Amino acid sequence: MTEKSEKIKDIIRICILTAAALLFVAPVLIVLMNSFKEKLFITSEPFKLPSADTFAGLRNFTEGLRKTGFISAFGWSLFITVGSVAVIVLFCSMTAWYITRVKSRFTSFLYYAFVFSMIVPFQMVMFTMTKTANALSLDNPLGIILIYLGFGSGLSVFMFCGFIKSIPLEIEEAAMIDGCGPVRTFFSVVFPILKPTAITVAILNAMWIWNDYLLPYLVIGSDYKTVPIAIQYLRGGYGSVDMGAMMAMLVLAIIPIVVFYLSCQKYIIKGVAAGAVKG
Amino acid sequence: MASITLKNINKIYPGGFRAVNNVNLEIKDKEFVVLVGPSGCGKSTTLRMIAGLEDVTQGELYIGDKMVNFTPPKDRDIAMVFQSYALYPDKTVYKNMAFGLERHKVPKDEIKRRVDEAAKILGIEHLLDRKPKALSGGQRQRVALGRAIVRDPKVFLLDEPLSNLDAKLRTAMRTEIAKLHKRLDTTFVYVTHDQTEAMTMGDRIVVMKDGVVQQADTPHELYINPCNMFVAGFIGSPQMNFVDAVMKRKEGSYYLETQNGTVKLPDSRVNENVSAYEGKKIKIGVRPEDVSDEPGKENVLTGTVEVSEQLGSEVYLYISSPDGRITARVSPDTTAKTGSIIKYTFNMNKIHLFDPQTQEAVR
Repeated sequence: MTEKSEKIKDIIRICILTAAALLFVAPVLIVLMNSFKEKLFITSEPFKLPSADTFAGLRNFTEGLRKTGFISAFGWSLFITVGSVAVIVLFCSMTAWYITRVKSRFTSFLYYAFVFSMIVPFQMVMFTMTKTANALSLDNPLGIILIYLGFGSGLSVFMFCGFIKSIPLEIEEAAMIDGCGPVRTFFSVVFPILKPTAITVAILNAMWIWNDYLLPYLVIGSDYKTVPIAIQYLRGGYGSVDMGAMMAMLVLAIIPIVVFYLSCQKYIIKGVAAGAVKG
Repeated sequence: MASITLKNINKIYPGGFRAVNNVNLEIKDKEFVVLVGPSGCGKSTTLRMIAGLEDVTQGELYIGDKMVNFTPPKDRDIAMVFQSYALYPDKTVYKNMAFGLERHKVPKDEIKRRVDEAAKILGIEHLLDRKPKALSGGQRQRVALGRAIVRDPKVFLLDEPLSNLDAKLRTAMRTEIAKLHKRLDTTFVYVTHDQTEAMTMGDRIVVMKDGVVQQADTPHELYINPCNMFVAGFIGSPQMNFVDAVMKRKEGSYYLETQNGTVKLPDSRVNENVSAYEGKKIKIGVRPEDVSDEPGKENVLTGTVEVSEQLGSEVYLYISSPDGRITARVSPDTTAKTGSIIKYTFNMNKIHLFDPQTQEAVR
């Protein structure tokens, strides 16, 4: 009786989770499906599969690439994302190591400052930040990497700190005896151990930086269009939107981040759980 | 190869806690010295100061002829084995062992030769490609030792390296480390809280308590001539029995009057220091093997056997008496059983006497 009711519960649970998963995947599938349809049919039959009449082949893609300057936008997005993620992983791991290993009021204050920065919404600081960025000549792709470092460091330092606490200090002492100074100890011993957390931090930051629209729009505007900004330009005047090209470009925009996520996803759980339990 | 000299070494942490108090110690070249004591006695702190992992607050520390108070660990030519092994988890066994040599810019073929040689000594040649997580506790221990061996250091420092192993493996590794010391013929400083480990491995044992060296001597000397009650109680298992007594003199002989009866002190044990306690309180210390359950006619005491522990080759009797609990290590042929009243006696030629106030030995 109990076994049977457990089985029924399992089935219900699976059904609910499958429905939830479908809900999450549906928008992506709809975008993918519509990217191959003629633009007129996208608005009239958005949920139908492409048929012989509605199928547009790769026309939406070629049109989108031509209209948006997608290749250059892709390049800038890639540069900003890779640059920001690299800088976040490098500096935040070093900061977290310092905060965790050097016990003082200053490091304790630093830690809480980073944690606090996680709860400050972007909208609260966006105008002052834009002004400051302009004043400091950070309104370019290199400058925005520095701004992303600021916005990404809260969560990243928090995650790195959690993991570093679980690394026995003796490993670092062994490295000191083996002939390492602090820099060599970090890069040869500590950083390789941080790999799961570093990958998790990289994925989480890459996803939001790649998809971010507001910050690059406010800081660098249309001088160096990133992918989300370039796609937005498909919205013409008087509300006209080239839906076909937009769907096609959205598909192209999603691909890199999905591939990155899938190739590193096994580290996410490892990285998030790391530091939670002392091993 | 090098000697180690600690001159008036103190370690005081911020906040004023004195972990090591005025330690003076001379460790000879190629000597195997064991620092032993209960938790918090300062033995690990002393070792870490020798390693350079803790600053010396006051005093002078020499490795060989060189004062190393301000020398970083990497320049002290030492190797250390940690309690948790501290292997680099992302590196293979080979890389773990080679890492220190790479840092010291040793040529690659020389590194390979040394790692292979150390692996052969420790029997871990087949594990060189594995990562630490794929090793058992004993194997990790060997790798940690291997990492120290390949460095060919002047001094080996070992911080409770066997405490994470099970009893059987610990005994085996004890012998291995002792053999390794003979083979490498270099200075070893070993920290443990296990007095059996200390007794079986060290050329010399340094007993510490509350940051102070209580006695530094050979295992045999520590056992037969402990300088105070702490050392007497710490060294030896089961631990020494302590009995309160008052020394009396009757007809030219000295007697020790306890709550449980009176025992005669052999004339050979009496000297100026001992006779000074006439009419005063004194502590008797008796090793369990010096308590006999087959007494003669003299010095007989009585008690009740609380517990009798059969160990096969010997029996431990825990005797309840007016003097408190007395532990006796007796022959397995004993007739004493739990609950029985027995007569016992002390081997008076082997008893130890201590001052109850200072706890120092009276000899």
